[in-house]
Amino acid sequence: MKRDVTITINGVEYSGNIPIRMLLVDFIRDVAGLTGTHVGCTFEGQCGACTIHLNGEAVKSCLLLAVQCHGKEITTVEGLAREGALHVLQEEFHRHHALQCGYCTSGMLMNAAEFITERPDADDEEIRHALVGNICRCTGYTNIIKAISAAAKRNASV
Amino acid sequence: MTGHTGTGIGASLPRLEDLPLLLGKGKYFADLKRPGQLHVFFFRSIHAHAKIKSIDTRQAEELPGVVAVVTGEMIKDELLPLPQPSVTADLPGRKPTFWPLAVNKVIFHGEPVVAVVAEDPYVAEDALELIDVDYEPLPYVGDMEAALDPASPIVHEGWDSNQIFHIDFHSDRSESEHKDYVKRVAELIETAPHVIKQRYRVHRCGVTPMEPRGVLAEWDDTDGLMVWITSQRPHVDRYVFADVMSLPVSKVRVVAPVDQGGGFGVKAAIYREPMLITYLARKLGRPVRWLETREENLMTVGQERDQIHDLELAADENGKIIAARDMGMADAGDGCAGMYWGYNMPLVGAARFPNAFDIPFCEVQMRVAVTNKAVLSPARGLGIYPTRFALDRAIDMMARKIGMEPSDLRRKNLITELPAKLSTGITYDSGDFRKTYDRLIELADLPAFRKEQEAARKEGRYIGFGIGVGAEPSGVHSRRYIVNTGTPAYAATDVRIDHRGGVTVYYGDAPHGQSHKTVIAQIVSTELGVPPEHVTVIHGDTQSTPYSTGTVAARGASLVMSSVAVACRDLRKKMIRVFAHDHKADPDYSDYEFADGQVRHKRSDNLRSGFAELAYRIIVNSIDLPPGETGSLEQKAVFENDFGMVAFSAHGAFVEVCAKTGRVKILKYITSDDAGTVLNPQILVGQIEGGVIQGISNFLFEEYVYDENGQQLSSSLANYKIASAADVPAIDVYHDAGTYCPNTPLGARAMGEGCIGAVPGALGNAISDALQPFGVEIVETPVTPAKILRMIRG
Repeated sequence: MKRDVTITINGVEYSGNIPIRMLLVDFIRDVAGLTGTHVGCTFEGQCGACTIHLNGEAVKSCLLLAVQCHGKEITTVEGLAREGALHVLQEEFHRHHALQCGYCTSGMLMNAAEFITERPDADDEEIRHALVGNICRCTGYTNIIKAISAAAKRNASV
Repeated sequence: MTGHTGTGIGASLPRLEDLPLLLGKGKYFADLKRPGQLHVFFFRSIHAHAKIKSIDTRQAEELPGVVAVVTGEMIKDELLPLPQPSVTADLPGRKPTFWPLAVNKVIFHGEPVVAVVAEDPYVAEDALELIDVDYEPLPYVGDMEAALDPASPIVHEGWDSNQIFHIDFHSDRSESEHKDYVKRVAELIETAPHVIKQRYRVHRCGVTPMEPRGVLAEWDDTDGLMVWITSQRPHVDRYVFADVMSLPVSKVRVVAPVDQGGGFGVKAAIYREPMLITYLARKLGRPVRWLETREENLMTVGQERDQIHDLELAADENGKIIAARDMGMADAGDGCAGMYWGYNMPLVGAARFPNAFDIPFCEVQMRVAVTNKAVLSPARGLGIYPTRFALDRAIDMMARKIGMEPSDLRRKNLITELPAKLSTGITYDSGDFRKTYDRLIELADLPAFRKEQEAARKEGRYIGFGIGVGAEPSGVHSRRYIVNTGTPAYAATDVRIDHRGGVTVYYGDAPHGQSHKTVIAQIVSTELGVPPEHVTVIHGDTQSTPYSTGTVAARGASLVMSSVAVACRDLRKKMIRVFAHDHKADPDYSDYEFADGQVRHKRSDNLRSGFAELAYRIIVNSIDLPPGETGSLEQKAVFENDFGMVAFSAHGAFVEVCAKTGRVKILKYITSDDAGTVLNPQILVGQIEGGVIQGISNFLFEEYVYDENGQQLSSSLANYKIASAADVPAIDVYHDAGTYCPNTPLGARAMGEGCIGAVPGALGNAISDALQPFGVEIVETPVTPAKILRMIRG
């Protein structure tokens, strides 16, 4: 069974006549062609690599159907940098060597982007707890915590 | 050992890899698409061991969108099985014959039985539901010790036992000398004042990367086979595909994508699925793609460790170790993976058993069984994790028996003279183990901790400290590696300067998070005096890069980076010769420096040229060169060291164990590492932090679980628990007590593979130290709260 679906991603409307069972992450990757959003588990919400913003809120795009997002607005990692300027998190991830293979990075960034606006004063332990839905296999997390902490501070001071 | 600041060797240059990855513009396997591509899903065995009575695929074939359904019977005459010469190690072990799809019987839960090819991945998955396989269950062989019993059911048809491998390490002892040696070991153990006799066991776990595997293959009648694959070894894959499809190697091109989402060894072995995808691409004449699901990944690859060690350790009154006997055993699973065959890991673990310790008489054996489980496959810290756990734990137990501080007994027994050769034949080139170890002891401040521990115990709090050490490979060498894997160890890079002074480095490995692009650019920057951003790195494509075995075994900072330096130095010499000729100057190499985009004579200000201008002169204006000289600035260099190079680490863990819940909290974790010359401190620390957390996660959380019928119960990340940020501490990494490596041109040692090795000893010893009031000694992993509570309650 198919249905017409339109979703706004990073300010651009994407439409398709898609199977109703299509996952949102597949819509983002295959219909919109935005491959920065990754899949690291079997669509079970465990790894967090597919985290995006749905109407401003960080969610895992493998746990939603595309049809559920008809008419809604999504931001993916490709929409994080604005007008050629990196997001403060992207800068701090680079500075602190918070990524190695980069596969989990998109999800980490999207989760953290919501978190630092809500909790700019979070300490390292709180940041660690905020990341339990995102697995990183390379870095051991410490540099990710440092990067998010630095970004939160910079964000708060703007 | 940290060098200068700036952008060259020794600088914490932020990574050149980062920008596209941060913008969501990485180029991973799953991002690739080819026009008209088909999708494959595998129907996998629900039994651990069963005869295939019949396979009914008719309904699946009729599903609209399904293009082909294939079984083992259909392909076995069209595709050669493994083993093939390209991935056949020269070890005294067996190599089971296997095809990508099960033929006659299935031998583990998750083995591919049928492949469905469809226009759409959703349809391919639907078709799996329509396949009906009739099995006759056979007895499950799941315990390695029982599998080795002559009465056990047999896993591989035609074999007379389940023993796939056995080794009794002789080093260079003749048969009769070895007999005497073993006798001497027995005598020493029998008469020693102190002996620890204990069985140690490390469970099945590994380092599964975040990106699963994938293969996309395309056939062209003229060009042959084109394969994109998540791989640490594209050149080896190329040889294998040529072997099994009976093609000339020149008709196979393999590309490991520019970005790969981790590997950690998992993507280094030769597995079933890729061989089938390449076959299907040719058979169907269309691009064929398989993207592994996480469930498939957890059920088929990345399962490592899984060893038992029956260890006897003997020491004199003063705590000097005089002898050891380690009888190891390992579970290879079905043994069906090219290059490793399920026993390469335990082999390496056993060979490196003596670790950093001077054990005058040390007998080591390893027996490996096949079982009805997924094949044992590589993971970071290949093979050594269990042996490090066993010996480091035995050392602490010995210290307690004698009444010594464990850190003193450990120090007393460290190897102090290098180069050294172990009783198993393994060699260590250089380093100062004690210096690096003593730095850890200084950082740990043990006297202060012991006071704190005593005070805590009075309050009913159980804190402990433990050390683990690792003398781990810094690269490998061909003499050993060819025997172990069937491939050579050397690194080969091709450094090409262009006529505008840009530098492109080609090498045939396939990094997947190691930051090679950045470190190579730093080396070129230092050697040729060009900015790192003028350096381009091409890897992973067999069409453009020189053959080499792959991104494995800490070959980066040890071998690959060395070959880059050697190639750059050769190019420098050529540039100096031409420059000196043109300026009628003396071509004494040591008189020239390459810096700031210039080539200049150190003492004559007017003898200088822009690097780009000189490159143009040699590459394009290639006339009137010195006699015997030719144009072009392209240099290939091959580097290896014919003696085992080593990187030593000492780790210290401080833990608190809650006696009520059994929960372990790591309070502090310190490493002191000998990385030699540190090429990029930030990247080095990142490697060590990541490796240590993987080791901690293995120890406390991760476990591949098979039930009594061989059903896998850990096929989701919900059940195979990987440490999250909240589960683990920050790691304090120190590399200031390192020593220059005399056998690499830059003095660097590679840490990426071995930095996990010291973890199980440090954690096992720290938890046991904390639980001494209960007399608990940790001898088995994983160490879960439930197990701790059981041990506390006796």
